[in-house]
Amino acid sequence: MVVPHDNWTALREAETARMLAACTRCGECFRVCPMIAHAPAAQGADGSAIVGGVLDLLQGGAGDEASRAWTSACTRSGVCVPACPKAVNPMMMLRLAKFRAQEGGAIPPRDSRDAMARVKTFARLTMTEEEWERWQ
Amino acid sequence: MTQDLFWYGCNMTRHGEIIRLSERLMSVLGAPAQPVGGPTTCCGSVKESTPRIAEGMANRTMDRFNESGAARVITWCPSCHSNLDDFMGAARTQRFDHLHLAQAVLERADVLTPLMARRFAARVMVDRHVGNRTGVNEAVPALMRLVPGVTVMDDAYRAPSYMCFGLANVPGALPAHKEKLVAAAREAGADTIVTIFHSCHRELVVLERTHGIRVLNWVHVLAEGLGWDYADEYKAWRNSDDPEAAIGAERIAAAGEDAVRKLAVPELARPR
Repeated sequence: MVVPHDNWTALREAETARMLAACTRCGECFRVCPMIAHAPAAQGADGSAIVGGVLDLLQGGAGDEASRAWTSACTRSGVCVPACPKAVNPMMMLRLAKFRAQEGGAIPPRDSRDAMARVKTFARLTMTEEEWERWQ
Repeated sequence: MTQDLFWYGCNMTRHGEIIRLSERLMSVLGAPAQPVGGPTTCCGSVKESTPRIAEGMANRTMDRFNESGAARVITWCPSCHSNLDDFMGAARTQRFDHLHLAQAVLERADVLTPLMARRFAARVMVDRHVGNRTGVNEAVPALMRLVPGVTVMDDAYRAPSYMCFGLANVPGALPAHKEKLVAAAREAGADTIVTIFHSCHRELVVLERTHGIRVLNWVHVLAEGLGWDYADEYKAWRNSDDPEAAIGAERIAAAGEDAVRKLAVPELARPR
């Protein structure tokens, strides 16, 4: 089987280019998103403008408050995917925009410093030593 | 032939009994799968704020799976599954098939059904999310119907995201989901909410304390039908007034007092 991309950077670059070329900023993805109810700064935004902000984030820009709020509130519901008339895959578009925004500081990164230490601690509480050894 | 792998992910370590039951389940169904998980087989999602680190972790996991020779990797975690679909398999050779555990069990429904020895009276509603792309929204209710005494209550409610933990990171979203879920369960006449993923289970177990409705994972329900004993300790600890006392001093000492008090207890004692 042919692997489509050499690495994640190549995948992200190819997908970003495809999305920028395909998206018409119709705003349908924003209109159907079930998370807007929990993103106050995105509520009432113009669909075309907020998608434009996401595309800016996708390219390393700062976006605007509404687009950053929507991108941050995306929980990958995926309702936008079939709604998109150009098969952009807006769910992936927001995910890649969040990657770029977190790398550049436009959106604060998730604090995951203790995540793996917590995983190990719970393993020691819920598994026997033999299980933890065998299940890693 | 090399045994399948059961890739339980990382945060499932909170629910050792689900891993234990899943391993036993696949074994009795004649499709044994070796559990693998924890930091050594990370999909990278915990580090996705820094994609270069996430990629390194994911590549190491792909290499390990490829080198294992396993024909199938049976997934549990929805984040791992989607990362495998969207990133890992798109940028690294994948020499194995993958499917979710619920689908792998359902494939063996003809073997499972005669093993259902114990009646378990429950009117269940499954916590389904619109973002689930692994076939679980259909597979889990189908599995529940195999358990004698279980009635799956129809409902139209589907939560945003693909798991409850995703909602936990957006202010107000998880509390809103819990209220809608319980209201839907009451309206449907359900007495039990069935969770699909660990990342939903750990957020919803508090509903037993706050709303008086039973919360079980789908693997627990199958265990009930099979007559297998288990203990949902995470639920007991989370719903306890004193998680340290519920865990017990001896186990805390064995797991490392400092780590348990710094990393586990604050999670178990957070507001419900």
